[in-house]
Amino acid sequence: MNSTSFIETEDLTKGYSSGQIEVVALKDVNLSVREGKFLGVTGPSGSGKSTLMNLLGGLDTPTSGRIKVQGKFISELNKEELALYRRYQVGMIFQSFNIISSYSALENVAFPLLFAGVGKKERKQRASQMLTKVGLCPRKDHRPPELSAGEQQRVAIARALINQPKILLADEPTGNLDSTTSRQIVQMLSDLNKNQGLTVIMISHEESLVRRFAHEIIHLCDGKIVEQEKIR
Amino acid sequence: MRISDYIEQSFSNLRKKKLRTFLTTSGVMIGIGALVSMLSFGRGVQKNITDRFKELDLFNYITVFPRSEQSQAKQSSANNEAEEDETQQVRVLDDDFIQEVTKIKGVESAFPEVRFPALVRFKGKQKFTLIQVLSADIGRSGLVKFRAGRPYAPDDANSLIISDILLRRMKVKDPQTAIGEKIEVSTLMLDSDLLSPANITSVIQGDKLPFSQEGYTFTIVGVAERMGFGGAMPLRSDVYIAPAASKKMKKVSLTSIQDFFQSSQQAKGYSAVNIKVSSVRYIEPVKARIEDLGLKTFAVIDELEEIKTVFIFMDMFLFALGMIAITVASLAIINTMVMSILERYKEIGIMKAVGASDRDVKKIFFFESGVIGFLGGVFGLALGWVVSMLINQVANYFLAKQAVPYIDYFSFPWWLCLGAVIFPILISLVAGIYPASRAARVDPVVALRHD
Ligand SMILES: Nc1ncnc2c1ncn2[C@@H]1O[C@H](COP(=O)(O)OP(=O)(O)O)[C@@H](O)[C@H]1O
Ligand SMILES: [Mg+2]
Repeated sequence: MNSTSFIETEDLTKGYSSGQIEVVALKDVNLSVREGKFLGVTGPSGSGKSTLMNLLGGLDTPTSGRIKVQGKFISELNKEELALYRRYQVGMIFQSFNIISSYSALENVAFPLLFAGVGKKERKQRASQMLTKVGLCPRKDHRPPELSAGEQQRVAIARALINQPKILLADEPTGNLDSTTSRQIVQMLSDLNKNQGLTVIMISHEESLVRRFAHEIIHLCDGKIVEQEKIR
Repeated sequence: MRISDYIEQSFSNLRKKKLRTFLTTSGVMIGIGALVSMLSFGRGVQKNITDRFKELDLFNYITVFPRSEQSQAKQSSANNEAEEDETQQVRVLDDDFIQEVTKIKGVESAFPEVRFPALVRFKGKQKFTLIQVLSADIGRSGLVKFRAGRPYAPDDANSLIISDILLRRMKVKDPQTAIGEKIEVSTLMLDSDLLSPANITSVIQGDKLPFSQEGYTFTIVGVAERMGFGGAMPLRSDVYIAPAASKKMKKVSLTSIQDFFQSSQQAKGYSAVNIKVSSVRYIEPVKARIEDLGLKTFAVIDELEEIKTVFIFMDMFLFALGMIAITVASLAIINTMVMSILERYKEIGIMKAVGASDRDVKKIFFFESGVIGFLGGVFGLALGWVVSMLINQVANYFLAKQAVPYIDYFSFPWWLCLGAVIFPILISLVAGIYPASRAARVDPVVALRHD
């Protein structure tokens, strides 16, 4: 394995068995991302992009193969350690935002701090600061239904970054956004990558958008990397 | 996650589903309310009895009776050796016995129980009753509760204490009016003429009693409250006189009709002796010593044990009823929690995605379940208390009409209040085990997949 890699996979394979049918969502994926890079992932629907993302994010465990992040094999962690990995090492955002609609923007952003055992006062303070960073401070007491789609995704980004992870995983973050808002969101991810050295992996089927911001792009098809290109 | 956060989360989540929380909590509340009021009733009645016994110092008394003939017969048949039978003498309850008993460690005092039948005549009414000889010390000990008047002096041979019940039976409503009044007492004496073979048939047929009468006049100095509990207690008569008064009277002494027929064998001695010990812990050793002498004993505390077993059964029955209610309530909790998990499926996925461990998720639902139990317990305790108060007021209102004094029929000892809150928490935690572990098992990948 490459020692300069920040995130690395080795013959990563994930199969789902629903009933008697065995679906191989990801097959022998070997991937290497260096620290501070912005990686774009594209591919048709059902090609295994989300599966890869969930494995890298520690939400799922591989059928075979290994994942190494910051020198540690996260594919060998137990459930408890994996929770800690998700809590402190990675932040994830999704196409459907996955923020809690009954919580205010502030409460959503502060939510991960609850599991980190941070006190109530500090939770509020830190969440408030994070909302300022994504430009949503005036709207901190609004609930998701009162926010636009772009604002909701920014709440999700603030939440993903609240525990200061080194990696941000974004699974089609612009899938539910119009083109202008999409560009703003990806711009924000790119800025975080540039200014704070955040390693970003972003899935998107909008190739033009990915091309504009990513350092590297991989193309997935039927669970395999079919093309890998360096852009800048 | 901090404990305070779990609790806060639970309350805020439950607040979001007010109606459902209210309904589920009500189930627990009603179950606990029923359990609390029933148990507090059981406790209350029991407390009333024991407190009253304690107040009267009754736990410190042993009553000694001569051994019955049956038990003597049994013992002699068991002992084949004739010599032993002869050496084992029947202990007579006389003044020597009292002297001896007083020396036993823990015995404070011993006094004979002398009772004899008499006819009392007061204000034109006539009643047949048993007169008990009671030393002035006992009269002043607090054992006798005076409704009016005072105890008699040790050497007072002309005064007596009468019970309020007997007075009422003689149509005297106000005890105070009887104080200082004269009362006539006629004792009965065995008429040996009537017991002669010539007259015995008419006696047996009830035409004529084998008694003759002798009249005395007393002054009522005190009206005592008659104790409501039966059994062999130091005080169980309606008229008390001093030993000095007893000496001057001619009478037959008996406490029961058996005594009367046994009187030939046990002519000497008292029919019973009451012993007061300084502390309850001496009851058993003193009883054992006396029983070694071949005498029968009775202690109120033994009867209390019997009462206690009755209460244990009553408590068990009430507890079973409450438990049924609680079981139904805990099924409701399981149902609510499972519903809540299905509704918050995605939220659980989010929790895990942002770093919650399975244990965190489990605890969140566990606490939520516990909070339902806590709320149910607190409100159930309040409900039980309110219901008890209402029943108590109503019961006392009706019983007051029958001249029964005000009594708290319900008792809320600290352990009942504490238990009323802790028990439902435990129950709902048990009910929460399945839903919580189910929540912990939610696969975040499935929960977060957007469809
Ligand atoms: N939990 C699952 N059970 C069964 N099959 C699954 C599951 N998750 C994903 N798949 C299958 O794996 C393949 C890859 O899915 P996914 O990674 O979501 O693709 P993408 O995100 O690229 O659209 C698809 O064929 C999908 O049906
Ligand atoms: Mg996908």
